[in-house]
Amino acid sequence: MSSEPANANPTILNLSDLPTRKATTSKPKNTLASATPAYLYDPFAAVPDLDFSGDSEEDDETPEPIDSQEIFDLVATMCDPEHPITLGELAVVNLDHIWITDDDNGLTKTVRLEFTPTITHCHLATVIGLGLVVRLQQSLPPKYRIDVRCREGTHTTDAQLNKQLADKERVLSALENETLMGLVGKMIETCK
Amino acid sequence: MKEAALYMHHAERDPAEAKFIAQDTAKRIESKELKLLEVVQSLGEYLTDDDTTVRAKAIGFLAGVLAELGPRSLTRQQVPVITQFLSDRFDDETGLKEIASALTSMTKMHFFGDSEATQVATAMIKVDLPKHPPSTRFAVLTLLDALMSGYRDSLKDMGDKFITGLADMVGGEKDPRNLMILFSIMKVVLVEFDIVRHTELMFDIVYCYFPITFRPPPDDPYGITAQDLKNRLRECIASTRYFAGQVFPSLIEKLDSTSQNVKMDVLHTMKDCALNYGSGTMSTNSSQLWAAVKFEILNAAESDDFANEALLVVKAIATSLSTGLTEVPPANTPLTRYLKSIVKECLDLLQEPQQKQARPAGRILATVATASAPAFAFIMQSVMPALLLIYSDAGSIAKQRAMLQVFNQFFDSAVEIYGTWTTVEAAPSIENPLQEHREKLFEIYSQALMGSNKDETSFRQTGMRGLGKLSNIRKFLEESEIGMVVQYLDEIALGAEEKEEVKDEALQNLREISKFKSNLIMQITFPAFMARLPDSEEESKTENKPYLDTLEALAKLSFERPVFEVLLTRLLNKLEVVLNGGSGPEYPCAILRALLYVLQNKPQGSLDDTKAYYTRLIPPLLTKTILPLASGSGSTVLADDSVLDVTGRLLHIITHALDAESQKLVVENTFNLFISNAPSNLILESSYVVATTFRPLSSDCTPQIAGCTTLLASVLSAVPPAVLSFPSLPAFVEQLATLATTPESPAHRLALLRIITGEKAENHLRILFHITVPLLLRADKVGFSFLTTSLVPLLTTPLGAFCARGFQILLSPSSELSKENHAILRLLYKQRVFSQVVPLLIDGFKQAGSATKPNFLVALSNIIRYIPSSIITPELPKLLPLLLQSMDLEDTGVKAATIETLLVTIAESADVVKEHLGSVVSRLLKATEAPGNPVRVRMMALRCLKAFPGALRRELLLPYKRQVVKMLTGALEDPRRNVRKEAVEARGVWSRLGEGEE
Repeated sequence: MSSEPANANPTILNLSDLPTRKATTSKPKNTLASATPAYLYDPFAAVPDLDFSGDSEEDDETPEPIDSQEIFDLVATMCDPEHPITLGELAVVNLDHIWITDDDNGLTKTVRLEFTPTITHCHLATVIGLGLVVRLQQSLPPKYRIDVRCREGTHTTDAQLNKQLADKERVLSALENETLMGLVGKMIETCK
Repeated sequence: MKEAALYMHHAERDPAEAKFIAQDTAKRIESKELKLLEVVQSLGEYLTDDDTTVRAKAIGFLAGVLAELGPRSLTRQQVPVITQFLSDRFDDETGLKEIASALTSMTKMHFFGDSEATQVATAMIKVDLPKHPPSTRFAVLTLLDALMSGYRDSLKDMGDKFITGLADMVGGEKDPRNLMILFSIMKVVLVEFDIVRHTELMFDIVYCYFPITFRPPPDDPYGITAQDLKNRLRECIASTRYFAGQVFPSLIEKLDSTSQNVKMDVLHTMKDCALNYGSGTMSTNSSQLWAAVKFEILNAAESDDFANEALLVVKAIATSLSTGLTEVPPANTPLTRYLKSIVKECLDLLQEPQQKQARPAGRILATVATASAPAFAFIMQSVMPALLLIYSDAGSIAKQRAMLQVFNQFFDSAVEIYGTWTTVEAAPSIENPLQEHREKLFEIYSQALMGSNKDETSFRQTGMRGLGKLSNIRKFLEESEIGMVVQYLDEIALGAEEKEEVKDEALQNLREISKFKSNLIMQITFPAFMARLPDSEEESKTENKPYLDTLEALAKLSFERPVFEVLLTRLLNKLEVVLNGGSGPEYPCAILRALLYVLQNKPQGSLDDTKAYYTRLIPPLLTKTILPLASGSGSTVLADDSVLDVTGRLLHIITHALDAESQKLVVENTFNLFISNAPSNLILESSYVVATTFRPLSSDCTPQIAGCTTLLASVLSAVPPAVLSFPSLPAFVEQLATLATTPESPAHRLALLRIITGEKAENHLRILFHITVPLLLRADKVGFSFLTTSLVPLLTTPLGAFCARGFQILLSPSSELSKENHAILRLLYKQRVFSQVVPLLIDGFKQAGSATKPNFLVALSNIIRYIPSSIITPELPKLLPLLLQSMDLEDTGVKAATIETLLVTIAESADVVKEHLGSVVSRLLKATEAPGNPVRVRMMALRCLKAFPGALRRELLLPYKRQVVKMLTGALEDPRRNVRKEAVEARGVWSRLGEGEE
């Protein structure tokens, strides 16, 4: 590492404390109940039970709309550019600071995400913001408009920063910058 | 002497012939036909030849002869003469390789003594070795190695002369094979020889090779790896404490290396040095080492290899400094001085337990504490009061949890030092320093687990884990305290509002405790759990007592024999109660499944156990099942197919574990019961009534009685053929086959088929398939010809679709037809099926009409899914077109199976797909489209697409990048979340393709 990290010893949230999707209502199967009697397994039946690890639940086609938890899951496993720690653990992204709204035109939706740098003078805040934009652009359908900002009052230059992130031209030209994209690529690499 | 002349003649042109000549000469010397002296004399003229190669060849002949001679072939007089002769030749450096190998043979001679060894060594160390080629150096080093292993004291007696000579001789060696010998020689010298005055010289010889950066050439004939060299060199460096002054500063400097390999090597070497240099040396170096390696730990990610290795360095130093200590160390020992600075630094970092460096600080303390009992004692005494204070002052639960996590690591260290309740070795003499805080810790943890909000899942889990660990430490908690823990865990495991994961962990902990305190489980947990078992289905519903969970919990706790016995008694009693209450089949079935679960999962018990279980379980159970059917009174739910299935499995698993003699009795009584209708000891009461009315194999019995055939099948499949004796096998099989065509139920049919393994063609076909399977398994010709001549052609008939599905049972793993159950399984039977059937299927597919083509694909995928990919791979070029076509089929099952095959293909041999890449990619993309493809097809297709970039070269894929990235935008919008997740990943790897690599 060429320079000292801006914040060498940040506070870390425990992985298990990060918000996760509540387990689906169906209870995990009881070991005793799940043993199928041998005679129920009939390969000659018209729809043989193919050996997939998934269960019948996998074929459920009920639509599950994209929600803020899904957005959170997309970005929480991204890595901080300075620490080998995820943005979720560092509380840079928070579930409560993600909103999905329908746009007035009825066709598009807007995802708004406000992030919190670990310290107010973090010089990598721009990179983090850019990384979030790239990650969301890559992962969301085109009808989602992406609005990433630095949370008000969490950075010494947040107003200036947000202007940059909101400026499409500047974001595009930043994406051409190889060093920047290298950093962003590293952040996204750890995504699960 | 013609031998010498002949040898000289052949030496270069035909080495094999030359070797033979030398061997022959040796044989004749051994049989006293020739005298060695004559051989040497005959070489005379060559040895004075002006041509150096001639001289070398002449010595080569002598070396060849000596190598073949037995250790006693040379007399007490001959050995010194020959040795003298050869040692003198060291001056003539042309034949050095031959001289060295001749002398190596001499060292094995019986009369080769100390004075000869000294003579050879003295002459040898004068040789200017570095100028010779590697193979010559190898011969000389081999000689040195031989002297070192046989005549070490003579070399030691040579003193400084040997040491300095050796240094001149071996300096600058580069050949890996030679280095392997050199390092092992050097290790002996460093450890055993008096090198104090030459420390610097020795250090220079050895340390110049560090770090090893050698990379073996691709066709290395010696198979020496960099790791081999590293290990040997490390042993040398770590072998003498005299190196410490130079080694440690240099290693610390190299720790900054940018090469990961070097860094790892440095840490590993530090560790070995710390363990070998002794406590005196380490006490002067400990603080600088700690200062150097702590950054590797404090600034690393959680599971960083460097951090782990660095931790071991810190621990190794403490281990070294603990040598000889058995008590809590006084303040002025090197160990306490070392630990004090570590403790101080870590305690500072733990003041804010949530910060990033707190966790590694805790790890350091916990790891160093495992170095020795004194280290553990010192660290615990120094940190526990302060940490407990931080805990009680911590305002937030997150902070408290972080602290508990640190304590939990200490408990693990305590187990490492003091052992568990089941540890046999003696405990250290120092009393466990945590004992002083036992009550406080127990209170904190009890409070965390039982006194905090139920939503604080991870906090409570941390607490639970800690209580589990505390219970585990040998002679730490009081029996009553562990009893409390068991009660807490019971409460959680049975709690209706607890999360599944928490309950699971509670059970897990109870199971651990059952291993060392099974009495507590039986006294506390069992009554609590049994009370939760309802007496009937109604009670289960009205009083909210879900019996499945409780039974599962009980089963998971009963792997220890005494516990299982209690479970057996209690559950059989419960079964009785439930049956008397007029229950349906579900509850009794669940009770029996619980017993089956334990038997299937418990560690192997002794034969005596099994016999006991047999007597207590099987006859009572069979009586309860069959007597009501025969006598017409009492509950018949145990004869329900679902219950019989479980009873059959119990019967199988227990019978299988019995000894041959008991098995014979079981079979005899089973036959009495099912076939010959005689009284059987499996029926405990009214066995005569049963014998006269129970006729499961007659065609006019009731469906329930017929269903009991499954019990017969279970016994038969559990015993080896030797135990079986049928009165008339063909007649028996015929009877069963007749019955199987008119089955009473699917279960009945399967039972009948299982024993020999309807009026409709399908039923006959079923039977044919089931009979084919064991024939294929034993690689029987009839089976194969039946498969190829009858079953494959059937695919084009109206029965084709049915037949194609049947192909699935041909190779699917079967629990009955397994080695354990005495079935004959030939090696490679899958390969044979594959190689014989697949070409037929491919041909058949090509010729088949559109209506029957799918049958071939279904049959094919039913074969392929059970074949290891290594067998499929060579055939893939032929198969791939078929696979592509089957992706166009409507049948989603086939589609999914095909994509799965593709996925395996890509992982194993991406090259095959290369030529069809375009069509594969577009078909996969099509399979990701939401309407029209079920979820699992879409997921599989995406997973498959994701695998490409890792498996194929970039240039091949780049042409499709745009198409894939664009098309997958659609999948980002999939209605299902899991599909979208796969889509994001697949699209991610494709969009990164070719970026930042130029």
